[in-house]
Amino acid sequence: MVEDGELGALGADSYTRRGHPDAQVRMSAYFQDYVTVGVFIALGAVLVAVMLGIAAVLRPNNPTRTKQLTYECGVDPVGAGWSQTYVRYYVFGLLFVVFDVEAVFVFPWAVAAERLGLFGVVAITIFMLTLIEGLAYAIKKGVLRWE
Amino acid sequence: MQIDWLAIAPEIVVAVTILGVLAADLVLPRPLKYWTATLAVVGLTLAVVPLILMAASSVETRSLFEGSYVVDDFALVLKGLFLIAGYLVVLMSVSYIESDRYYQGEYYLLLLSSVLGSLVIASARDLIVLFIGVELTTGPLFMLAGWRKGDIRSNEASLKFFILGVLSTAILLWGMAMLYGVSGEVRFDQIRSALADPSPAAQPLVGLAILFVLVGFAFKVSAVPFHFWAPDTYEGAPTPVTAYLSVSSKAAGFVALFVTVYVALRDRVDIWGPGLWALAALSMTIGNLAALRQSNIVRLLAYSSIAQAGFMLVPFAAASVAGEQLAEGLAATVVYLVIYALMNLGAFAVVIQGARRTGTGDIDGWAGLGRIDPRLGVLAAVFFFSLAGIPPLAGWFAKFVMFRAAIAAGSAAATSLAVIAAINAVIALYYYARVAKVVWFDEAPAGAEPATEPPAASLALTLGIAAVATVVVGVFPAVFAVFGEATRVLLASG
Amino acid sequence: MTVTAGWYMTLAALLFGVGLVGIFLRRNALVMFMCIELMLNAVNLTFVAAGRAIGDLEGQVAVFFVLVVAAAEVVVGLAIIVAVFRQRASASVDELAELKG
Repeated sequence: MVEDGELGALGADSYTRRGHPDAQVRMSAYFQDYVTVGVFIALGAVLVAVMLGIAAVLRPNNPTRTKQLTYECGVDPVGAGWSQTYVRYYVFGLLFVVFDVEAVFVFPWAVAAERLGLFGVVAITIFMLTLIEGLAYAIKKGVLRWE
Repeated sequence: MQIDWLAIAPEIVVAVTILGVLAADLVLPRPLKYWTATLAVVGLTLAVVPLILMAASSVETRSLFEGSYVVDDFALVLKGLFLIAGYLVVLMSVSYIESDRYYQGEYYLLLLSSVLGSLVIASARDLIVLFIGVELTTGPLFMLAGWRKGDIRSNEASLKFFILGVLSTAILLWGMAMLYGVSGEVRFDQIRSALADPSPAAQPLVGLAILFVLVGFAFKVSAVPFHFWAPDTYEGAPTPVTAYLSVSSKAAGFVALFVTVYVALRDRVDIWGPGLWALAALSMTIGNLAALRQSNIVRLLAYSSIAQAGFMLVPFAAASVAGEQLAEGLAATVVYLVIYALMNLGAFAVVIQGARRTGTGDIDGWAGLGRIDPRLGVLAAVFFFSLAGIPPLAGWFAKFVMFRAAIAAGSAAATSLAVIAAINAVIALYYYARVAKVVWFDEAPAGAEPATEPPAASLALTLGIAAVATVVVGVFPAVFAVFGEATRVLLASG
Repeated sequence: MTVTAGWYMTLAALLFGVGLVGIFLRRNALVMFMCIELMLNAVNLTFVAAGRAIGDLEGQVAVFFVLVVAAAEVVVGLAIIVAVFRQRASASVDELAELKG
C-alpha cells in the first residue's frame, strides 16, 4: 500500500523542515543498541546451558513417580492441564485492564510534575478522584466480591 | 497556565453532572433512583447558561490550549443543539426507562457522557481532541444500544453497532495517522498550512489519508454505502436511544467531518468535494428507495434519517464540488442539521407514544390512531409532514435553504445534485404522507376506544417543545438567520 | 541497510490490511474484534514511526489516547459479546439475523 520511496522522500523533506539532519545516523545508532541486547541474550543462554550441564553430570539420577509429578506448590495436581477459569476472573481482568491503562496518563504528569506545579497537582487529583469514584461504583455493585 | 474557564464551562458542568449522577446512583435506594434523571436534566439546563453568556459577550472567538480547542459562534450554535437534543432525549427516556426497571443511573450517566463527547467535537480543532470527542460520543452508545440485555434483538443491535463503530474508528484513525505523517502536525490550522504545498512524493498519501478520513466519518453518520448497520441498530435499540443515535450522534459525526475537511483540509477540496457529492447523492437516493418498502415505523425512520443525511450534505457538497461559497454551503447545512434534529426528535417521541397506544411498531397497526388519540395524530402529521418539507413547517425552510445554497453554488455538478435532491424530496413525500394517511384515514381496528389517559408528563413536554419549535421555525424562519451567520465565523478562524 | 520510518509504516500498513481482510472474512465476533485491535495497533505504529521520523512528540501523545480508548473499547466489546453469548451460546455474527429488512 505504501511505497518506501515516497515515505523516504517525505521523511527527508520533514527532516530539513524540522532541523534533524542527523536522524538517519541516530536511527542506525538505535539499531546498534540491539546488538548489545543480542549479545546479552546469547550470554544468558550459554550460562543456563553450562549450569544445567554441570548439574546433570554431578547429580545422582534416580527418578520415581512422585518426583516426576508436576509441581503445584506441594499439592498433588488434579485434572487435566487445560481447565476453565471462573467467569468472575474475567470481570476482574476487565477492571484491571481499564485501571491499568489509565495509569498511562499519570506517568507523563509525574515526569513533568515540578514544571506543572499546583495546576498539575489539582488536575491529576481530579483525574484520580474520578477513577476512585469508578472503583467505588464497582465495589458497590459487588463486582469485586469473590463468592 | 491561562485558561478561559467560561469557554469550557459547559463541558465542566456536564462532566460534574456525570460524576454527580454516578454518585447519586450509588447512594440512592431503588425507589428514589429517578432523581438521577432530575439531576441530568438540571445539569444539561445549567450547561446552557455559559453558552448564553458567551453568545452575549463581545468576544467572538475563544481559543484554548494553543488553538486545539476553539469556541466560536459555530461551536456555540452546535453546542446549544447538542445540549437541547440531549435534554429532549433525557425527557423522552424518563418514562421509557422507568417502565422497564432498567439501570436508570447508568443510563443517564452514559447518555450524558455521549453529550459531553459531542460538546468536545464542536470545539475540537486538533486531531487528538477530535478523536477523543468522537470516541466519547459513540462509546457509551454501544452500551445504550444493547440496554435491554434480555432481548436478543437489542444485543444484536449493540454488537453490530459496536463492530462497525470500532471498525470505522480504526479507519478514521488510520487516515488521521497518515495526515499526521504527511503534515507533521496535529492542529488543524497547522495541518492546513503544511498541506498547502506538499512535496509531489507525498501527494498520493494525502489523497489516501483524506479518503480514509472520509470513509471513517461516513460510517459514523451512516451515509450510503456505509449505512448498513444503521437500520438494524435503530430497530433493536431502545427507542429513545434510537432517537439520540439518529439525531445527536449523527449530528456529532457530521460536525466532526465538517470541521476536519473545512478547517484542516480546505485546500484539498478537489479530493473530498467529489466524495461528499457521491455520499450525498447515494444517501438520498438509496435511503429513500429503501424507506419506501418499510412496514415498521422505526425502520422507516432509520432509512428516512439516512436519506435526510443526504439532504443535509447537499449544500456543502454542492459548494465543495463547485469549489466556491463553501462558507454559505456549510451554513445552509448547519441550518438543515438543527431543524432536522428538532423535528426528528419530535417524530421519535410520537413513535414512543404511538407504540404505547397501539402496542405495535407496524405502520399498519397505527390505523385510525388519529381518531383514538387526536392530539397524537395531529403531532404525528406535524412531524412527518415537516420531515417531508411541507410548508409552513420547519422542514420546508430547511429544504428551501438547501436548494438555495445548492443552486447558488453554480457549477453543473452542484446543479445536478440539486436536481437529484428535488426528485428525492418527491419520493420522500410519498412514504411520510403514507404514515399520516394511515393515522388519519384508515379505519381503526374494531373495539378501539378513544384514549383517556394522558401521556407521561416528560414525554408530553418533549412533544410540546419539538412541536412548538417545528411550527415557529417554519412560520418565522428569520429566527434562524442568526445561525446562518454563525458558521461564517469559522471561515475567519481557519 | 538502515531501517527508515518508511519500513515501519509499510509494516503498519500490512498489519492494517491483515486486520481489515480478517474483519470481512471471519465471522466469529471475538476474532473480528481481534482484527480490529490489530488495526488499531497498526495505527499506533504509524503514529510512533511518523512522530519519530519527524522528531515530534505529538505522535506519541496520540498513541497514549488511542491505547486508552482501545482498552475501554475492549471492555465494552467483550461485555457485549458476553451478553450475546448468554442469549445464544454462540459468538458467530451470522447467527445474529433477527433484524432484517
